[in-house]
Amino acid sequence: MNDELGMRNEEWEIGGKRLSSRLLIGSALYPSPANMEEAIKIAGAQIVTVSLRRQAAGEGGGNAFWEIIRSLGIEVLPNTAGSHSSKEAITTAQMAREVFGTNWIKLEVIGDQYNLQPDPFETVKAAEILIKEGFEVFPYTTDDLVVAKRLAEVGCKIIMPWGSMIGSGKGLMNPDNLLAIRKQFPDLQLIVDAGIGKPSHATQAMELGYDGVLLNSAIALAQDPVKMADAFRLAVEAGRLGYEAGVMQEREFASPSTPTVGTPFWHQFD
Amino acid sequence: MIEVIVNGTRTTIPNGLNIKEAIQALDYKGKGFAVARNGTFVAVATYEKTMVRDNDSLEILAPVQGG
Repeated sequence: MNDELGMRNEEWEIGGKRLSSRLLIGSALYPSPANMEEAIKIAGAQIVTVSLRRQAAGEGGGNAFWEIIRSLGIEVLPNTAGSHSSKEAITTAQMAREVFGTNWIKLEVIGDQYNLQPDPFETVKAAEILIKEGFEVFPYTTDDLVVAKRLAEVGCKIIMPWGSMIGSGKGLMNPDNLLAIRKQFPDLQLIVDAGIGKPSHATQAMELGYDGVLLNSAIALAQDPVKMADAFRLAVEAGRLGYEAGVMQEREFASPSTPTVGTPFWHQFD
Repeated sequence: MIEVIVNGTRTTIPNGLNIKEAIQALDYKGKGFAVARNGTFVAVATYEKTMVRDNDSLEILAPVQGG
């Protein structure tokens, strides 16, 4: 599929897998399952996030949603959304590993219900235990450098700082903080997760040197999610290419791009 | 009979059931879900040796969309 889309970014490795897409997308909030499926395909996404929720009695396991995701043949990244403690997150991760058959886990431990800000203390605690249990942890965190440092110290090879609040669409609130994390950890896989609202936000994250972006609402809540998925695919590719190409240094003064030698009328009236 | 809390709702099941038997008694069918007992994960391999006690809390979770 990604060859048909003409994707141009070099392959990269995350969690032991080699992938061509750097756009990770969520599977929630789409107008319909068919729309979700089409959006995932057009996005060229090779990692999709999923979750676990209470099942009603009488329902068969392996529901229709999971069948669609499985049929896409892409990597699933289960989350621990809704967890408010390391214990809840660890139990959810263990349950997800059994149901989804993957040791990947998007670790989310929420510390505040108003802005869904991750709890750094419980996140680090859970990450350390899960890594010892053989999980590949994708921790959702803030753009705090010290928290990222603690996550790296307990063995996280991937860190996912937020751009801004989950579902806010506000983009990158603190690009300088994100850049500081990038510069401090050149060898870790860094993904901007949460807060991205439009394609230019994704491009900005990639231009900062981030390895990927993870988003859901920006595509699923667009007026045309499939078209927006296409836009995000291009935005992520463009941002990555721009980063690899090396962005010019900003200057504090104007500098003409047209040659000044041979400028007509130069000093003609002095 | 004993009282258990299943996905947040109090109900009754016969006494002396293990997790596998309790799931059947509660009318959960097929596969594709995972179980936690009193906040601790119960692997499929240990269903038959994990007994359900009075006032136990069971979480039975299945795949859904996620962000």
